[in-house]
Amino acid sequence: MGSAETHNQSREAVLARIRAALKAQAVRPEPATHSPVFPPVGKDLLATFHAACAANLMELVVTRSWDETAGALRAALTSVPTGEVFVEDAPELRQSVDSLETPVRWSSKGIPQENAVATITGCEALVAATGTIVVASERGGRGGSVVAPCHIVVARESQLVPDLEAAFAHLRAESIAERNSFVGFITGCSRTADIEKIIVIGAHGPRRVVVILQMDS
Amino acid sequence: MATRIALFIPCFVDQITPQVGLDTARVLERVGCSVYFPSEQTCCGQPAFNTGHWDDARPLAERFVRVFADAETVVCPSGSCTAMVRNFYPELLASSPLRQDAIELGRRVFELSEFLVKVANVTDVEASFPHRVTFHDSCHALRELGIRNEPRELLKNVRGLELVEMPASEECCGFGGMFAVKFGAISASMGDSKAENVAATGAEYVASIDGSCLMHIEGVLRRRKDAARTIHLASVLAQEIQ
Amino acid sequence: MRSSAAAEFLRKAAEKAADVAHRQTIRRNISSYDLSVGRGKLRFSDWEEARRRCAEIKWEAINHLDKYLLEFEQKVQARGGHVFWASNAEEARQYIEDLVTSRGVKLVVKAKSMVTEEIHLASALERRGVEVLETDLGEFIVQLRKEPPYHIVTPAMHLSRADISRLFREKLEGVTSDEPEELVAAARRALRKAFFAADVGITGANFLVADAGMIALTTNEGNARLCTALPRIHVAVAGIEKVIPRLADLALLWPTLATAGTGQHLTTYNTLIGGPRQPGEQDGPEEFHVILLDNGRTELLADPEQRDVLHCIRCGACLNACPVYRTVGGHTYATTYPGPIGSVLTPHLRGLEGWQHLSYASSLCGNCTSVCPVRIDLHHHLLHNRRNAVEKTRHGWLENVSFRAWRWTMMSSARFGFAGRVGRFAVRFVNKLGLSGTIIDPMRTWTRHRSLPEVPRESFRQLWRKRHGQR
Repeated sequence: MGSAETHNQSREAVLARIRAALKAQAVRPEPATHSPVFPPVGKDLLATFHAACAANLMELVVTRSWDETAGALRAALTSVPTGEVFVEDAPELRQSVDSLETPVRWSSKGIPQENAVATITGCEALVAATGTIVVASERGGRGGSVVAPCHIVVARESQLVPDLEAAFAHLRAESIAERNSFVGFITGCSRTADIEKIIVIGAHGPRRVVVILQMDS
Repeated sequence: MATRIALFIPCFVDQITPQVGLDTARVLERVGCSVYFPSEQTCCGQPAFNTGHWDDARPLAERFVRVFADAETVVCPSGSCTAMVRNFYPELLASSPLRQDAIELGRRVFELSEFLVKVANVTDVEASFPHRVTFHDSCHALRELGIRNEPRELLKNVRGLELVEMPASEECCGFGGMFAVKFGAISASMGDSKAENVAATGAEYVASIDGSCLMHIEGVLRRRKDAARTIHLASVLAQEIQ
Repeated sequence: MRSSAAAEFLRKAAEKAADVAHRQTIRRNISSYDLSVGRGKLRFSDWEEARRRCAEIKWEAINHLDKYLLEFEQKVQARGGHVFWASNAEEARQYIEDLVTSRGVKLVVKAKSMVTEEIHLASALERRGVEVLETDLGEFIVQLRKEPPYHIVTPAMHLSRADISRLFREKLEGVTSDEPEELVAAARRALRKAFFAADVGITGANFLVADAGMIALTTNEGNARLCTALPRIHVAVAGIEKVIPRLADLALLWPTLATAGTGQHLTTYNTLIGGPRQPGEQDGPEEFHVILLDNGRTELLADPEQRDVLHCIRCGACLNACPVYRTVGGHTYATTYPGPIGSVLTPHLRGLEGWQHLSYASSLCGNCTSVCPVRIDLHHHLLHNRRNAVEKTRHGWLENVSFRAWRWTMMSSARFGFAGRVGRFAVRFVNKLGLSGTIIDPMRTWTRHRSLPEVPRESFRQLWRKRHGQR
């Protein structure tokens, strides 16, 4: 490692240069009016989220009970090739996953393997306006939402928030960023447009994202 | 209306396309203005300013402010030169005693089409030009002065004129002052794209409010042996109904 | 203007300007980008207000840079992360080289990061015997070609799918067609093992969030997520200007970056990382290092006139909007950051003496400024660089003398009138001799590329005087 001495030297030197530089005042930019920049989000968050998922090429399945959720999980997994499925070790997921016939690796028993065919996790929130899934370390870890070609998210209706601003308010209220060294906002499938700007789905992350949303009845 | 207008004729219009200056006067007179030419004027200083020679540009800017000090309203057939006075003089003359005078002068200087439409409230100058015309947005007029609709409104009311928009009319033609000679190959390639877009419209004429762009575009069109020709907005508007 | 970099720029620019295939590839890419961004902006009810707010956020951060960097540092350290302040590229490289050497690192996976290009990190690590793999598809492609990125967002924009297919057939296995799906799958296969085998993941940072002590990473492919989830060490390199005050600022910065960068509403993966794996967490690296790089940025900070250049969020919009960039292409600049932002920035990072030519290689059309999502006054800064070049460097003496003479002429309307008459006579004479456009044409700098207008016998002022008398 670089010696502690060089470390401190540059730190102080950079800070000193910053402070000296800031003695000269820069002109403020044209002030913002702070009026809204996005159209208002409709009252029906589910409908908004549904439309956003479709635009992002994410699958959305709405369920009304734990039984339906378990059924939706089974259905989602039928088109996945046989192999190990990685699942976040949460009580609600244990309830739905126990009936599956696929080999399961629980997050409490290690990280998802290179050959995992799918991962199943919960989430912190769903953003209606953008069709975004908010995950964090406590939801299957850093790898749980990205390692396998298919990511299935099980969520509750109460987790829907209107927009990004509300999502950040939720993070703050629940101290999610304080509690987790990783927080991820996932909007759609892994994709690339690096070849002639042509969109190809499924680069390094999941090419399929399924949200199973259980209504709070 | 009896506005008394001082003509600000850019140096290259004066020397290379004098007809544009005469046509500007003619159009202004036709809409009821009285026009005079302060003959002490030379150049606003833009070539030096844009090349980084601010110390050479400054005395010319100060001289310009003095020459037009008494002018009530100044009209110029160029967006670029108007922008120099209105947008750049305050910065160039930041520590000059004439700074405040320059800021006030900037409020009285107008590009021709903006003067006609916004100040004189005229969109029909009773001109006739029975040709297919496309309009090139010059960068300084468009992005420094925000002139976009004014010239089009004027053109639409010209008898017999068919206005066709070209693809990417807001894309730079590649003139850029000294850029055209310092980086001739880039400038010419940009001019080529512009010429292709002009050709796509089948227009007989490319009109613009900046003669410098037109000089470059005309040069490219001729080199390509394209049929389209360039014409300054003032010269279109000066054509009387027979 | 006569630096070797300037001469090389002129040579390559002329070459690219005449390259029709290049022009077509870039045009196709950028028109697809334009279409997408046009649609993306419609998702905002007020794009201009979004730009003003982003500019305000960045202004606040940059003008209190010490405060926010310290807050960021303290929060990262509280989670057990290391923060290293590097004055220059060498210090940053040295820190990472020492790190990989002491940890016995064999393989590094890298996410796309312009700042690691700026400090030439990959080649330094390779010299130490470490294998470095770029994992962003575009970066992977240009790495295989052993060339620098062509564009800061779309590194392989200059290549057609046929070019990429040819390259992959030569270097990878299982490629049989030009189909983008097949090419992407081949790259995925080639990199998949590396993600799991690598000891270190290196990323940049799109933002450093002060109040959360987290870095924010934006990617579409998911490669940066794998780089920060699987290897046992994560190193993030970021310029000091990347800091923003609050986590909540991202609610606007993320959609704005995505829209300006690609036209997406949000990029697929917007990821926040605040440290190594914490107690109770099931995965993540054991070590987390953030390198805060100055490398000339404080010099820019000290110039209040151009300080807003540090607002840049590297979205690439100004490159796509620039007619010069589209003509000469990204490689011609020979800088880490090409296009308008690079032309403004590079003289501050590498010196005005050798890099002022880039500030002159612009028609000042201002399209860059009008598209910048953080409202950097880009084309006016090109003017500022030109002024500084004339005032502070050995600028061409011939040009200096010419402008002095021009000024003397223009300070008198009589001298101007006389010079005009002489000039017009000379041009008409040259044209009459049929020299126009030939190599001995004195106007060759103009006529080499386009025809000269016909020059009139009399100037406006002569004609006006004839008609109206003195006034």
